Amino acid sequence: MLVTKPVADLCALLIDELHGELPSRIFAILLTKGRSTLPQLVQYTSMTPRQLRHGLAVLQQHNLLFYHLDPGAEFAFYEANAEHAYNLSRTGKILEMIDSSFGAPAKDVMQSLLLSGQTRISDLVAAYQEKIGHANKAGEGFGDGDDFGTETNGINGDSQPAKKTGPLVKSTAQLNSIICRLVEAELIDVVHAKTFESPQDVLKTVEKEVMDKHFPGGVKGNKAKVDLQQRIAEGLRKVRGESKSLKRKLEQNGTAAKRRKLFAGVSMANGGHDEDLDPALDPRQVIRINYEKCLVDLRNRRLVQFASDMLGETTAYVYGVLLKLLTKDVPRCRDDAAMDVAADDDGDTEKGPGFVTTDQILDNLKTSVDLSLGIGKAERRQISSTAAEKIEPYPIKKKALIEQAEVDGEASADEEEDEDESSDESEYDSDYKAPATNGANGANGVNGTNGAKVKFDESAAPKERRLDRPTQLRQHLLVLTESTQRFVRHCGANEWTVDFAPLMSALREVELDSVIERSCGRQGLRLVRILRAKGKLDEKALPNVALMRKPELQQKMLEMQTLGFVHVQEVPRDLKADVKKSFFLWFCDAERSLNRLLETSYTTMAHCIQVLGALRQKERDVLETTKRSDVRGREKDTMRKEYYERYSRFLECERKLFAQVMRVDDLVAVLRDF
Amino acid sequence: MDSDIVLDGKPSELFPPYNVPKAPFLSKKEDKQVSFFLLFREQCQDSPLYTQARSWSQAADRHARTYGQDQVNKRYGQTTKATVDPFTAVPTYSHRFKKIPRTLPDHASRPFAKEFFPPELHATLDGEDEGATTTNGPAAKRRRVGPKTLGLSNITSYKTAEELFLPDGATPTTGGLDDGANLGKALQLFNSVEKRNEDGDEEGFLSGEDDDDWVKGNGEDGDDGNVEEDDQYEDESGDDYNAEAYFDGNQDDEDYDEGGDDGGDYY
Repeated sequence: MLVTKPVADLCALLIDELHGELPSRIFAILLTKGRSTLPQLVQYTSMTPRQLRHGLAVLQQHNLLFYHLDPGAEFAFYEANAEHAYNLSRTGKILEMIDSSFGAPAKDVMQSLLLSGQTRISDLVAAYQEKIGHANKAGEGFGDGDDFGTETNGINGDSQPAKKTGPLVKSTAQLNSIICRLVEAELIDVVHAKTFESPQDVLKTVEKEVMDKHFPGGVKGNKAKVDLQQRIAEGLRKVRGESKSLKRKLEQNGTAAKRRKLFAGVSMANGGHDEDLDPALDPRQVIRINYEKCLVDLRNRRLVQFASDMLGETTAYVYGVLLKLLTKDVPRCRDDAAMDVAADDDGDTEKGPGFVTTDQILDNLKTSVDLSLGIGKAERRQISSTAAEKIEPYPIKKKALIEQAEVDGEASADEEEDEDESSDESEYDSDYKAPATNGANGANGVNGTNGAKVKFDESAAPKERRLDRPTQLRQHLLVLTESTQRFVRHCGANEWTVDFAPLMSALREVELDSVIERSCGRQGLRLVRILRAKGKLDEKALPNVALMRKPELQQKMLEMQTLGFVHVQEVPRDLKADVKKSFFLWFCDAERSLNRLLETSYTTMAHCIQVLGALRQKERDVLETTKRSDVRGREKDTMRKEYYERYSRFLECERKLFAQVMRVDDLVAVLRDF
Repeated sequence: MDSDIVLDGKPSELFPPYNVPKAPFLSKKEDKQVSFFLLFREQCQDSPLYTQARSWSQAADRHARTYGQDQVNKRYGQTTKATVDPFTAVPTYSHRFKKIPRTLPDHASRPFAKEFFPPELHATLDGEDEGATTTNGPAAKRRRVGPKTLGLSNITSYKTAEELFLPDGATPTTGGLDDGANLGKALQLFNSVEKRNEDGDEEGFLSGEDDDDWVKGNGEDGDDGNVEEDDQYEDESGDDYNAEAYFDGNQDDEDYDEGGDDGGDYY
């Protein structure tokens, strides 16, 4: 994977933060110089081979390297795994996600796994045994009070690890069951022989195998070429599937399906009730975190948040359940072009997310959730049920247009713009929706209501509209279907699916719009939208269209051009290319703006960490004191007041900086990974 | 380009008013995420694979531009024995509490799944990669007697700013924990001391080190640092002033359950 300089800087900084200077230096060199062997690294870094070996071992342990060893060769080639390095910045999010959906003990296990890199199951079990043993011994020493404390904690799955003295994981059986569950969720996968081959190397080996086996005489003709492609894709999928071997084994065991029924949809506390059901895992297996699947789950969360911003909380909750069910078997956010080209005939396990039925969603909804909230009421005759219930068995081919994305609260505030908006909308969307529903109540209404006024007043018609739960659920799903962002597609009678690609591009546009609004104000956003609607516009025509004064407009446009949101094209009128006579056309290229935004985001993240470094340098006398073993943990008592204040100020800054890194990473995730 | 642009001849203000954008406060979820990340970082930095040592020079020239890899490399390796600050480097008693930064990760202390490493790194993973200078060869060999275990970090919380601001005991998290944690520390220390005394000799001391190490994770306050120290003090064990023995001996006849509240005496 080739990366730009900001990414390389960021990765090096992240590794420096988490694993120390030595690995970070090696990683930076590997990124800049590409694949290298040990002697080459010695030359590049002017470090001793011993240092390099130690550093490489650390990187390899933390899954940050690819390596390739030709048979018979003395030295292996190392390559940096920039993706995993970048994912280090997401550690907090991943842990939080696991904490909220699997409970605190699972988070503890995942944290240990992240901490130790790729780990043999037996080693992990031994480590936990050690810890549990220690805690038990300590518990005996402390007497009953503490024993009681730990026990209750374990039962409730209490999510405040700071409070407890005992370990979160009570027994090896529990550990086993946690690992089983995480494996089933694909959040943990198995390390196999080819895991650490870089994708290109894997491709090359598979290609070679296929050529030797099926095409010894070379490839001739178009048919053979297609065949070759398919075979290669198949081979690649096979290699990729190897990491799921543990999951398959668990599924064969049969308990998986049963447990899944118990767990799905609800955030479970501890899993203590069925530990015995879990088969013992092969202790020799080596496991590690599967970032791809983590990203799928993070994407679900992001989409739920998006839906909650756009439509409302209850609907978003329903959406969350739907996504969870839908993406259970979705292994990654974006399909790999090389592997999934020929996957069409492979059945829907590999291709597409499949669908979810209304009943499945209903089964997984918490009964405590009141589904009647968040749906508007409208007279029956005002709803065109054929339009609302329209079934679209295939994804819509039309590309997601920029106008479909809409910033919350933007439309209703400005009358003039409102009209502008809805007319834009109607140009593109009239094929499936009547105009005028959108602008004013697009945020919250049921859109199939044909311009009728949507009533939210609960008490107005309490009796006649009391719907039963399945119908209410259907209403929510229909709201999701009809939203401009197309959260859900109604792909069959009571079957629902999500087209992730257009949905994510809608989300990207929303993100871009909000960035434009932040940096150039509403005026800027409006201009950008005008340009998107009209395509390329001459500089002289723009003031008339935008109804703005020329100097103001020019200033705004220049400002936006420097930020990379709009672009200008010069078209000479004649051969002489006289500047005075040329046309200057303003236009928007969303793709370019997004790329620019992405690069800026990387730089911002790197900058945050650099600022932290500078802060550390500034406060180094204080920090050195706090690192002393007699001070650590008792800073308040041992440090002088002035020092202590400086220290707490530093900690606050540190939190803020990392929070900023994570927020920017949200943006990066949407733009790049989801 | 435009006729009605009027040029403004005045010099621009030196520090024009600038609206500094302020980030919104952390939401509860974000707060949790940051806490988890910081805790993870803390545990990472406590692990035996972390190298604390920073070898780049702390001087101002680190902001200077670099051209080419050579100049980048020259930035590193600046903090050596020759560059120590003579004013702070004189050994004092409080140096005992300082963590000695590791320059190389400590691979020998934990197990690895070696089949997934290229063969050239296998010796390193065993801790046998001593380079050219094998000064403490026998000692290092002996250290690996016990079974290797993967350590789980014992750090369970990273102090947030709020926790620090609040007086002790005001928050349930710190208030409740304080006694327990100190007791735990004391007890662990006690156990390790006992083990040492049982084994008695140097040999036992060395093998006991594995237990005492981060590897099994009983020392919240960077016992790995102390291990390094122990290595150093080891040679001087015959000296008249053996602070370590003095302190350890002191602890042997203490009653921890009563005296453990302040926790300050054990170091």
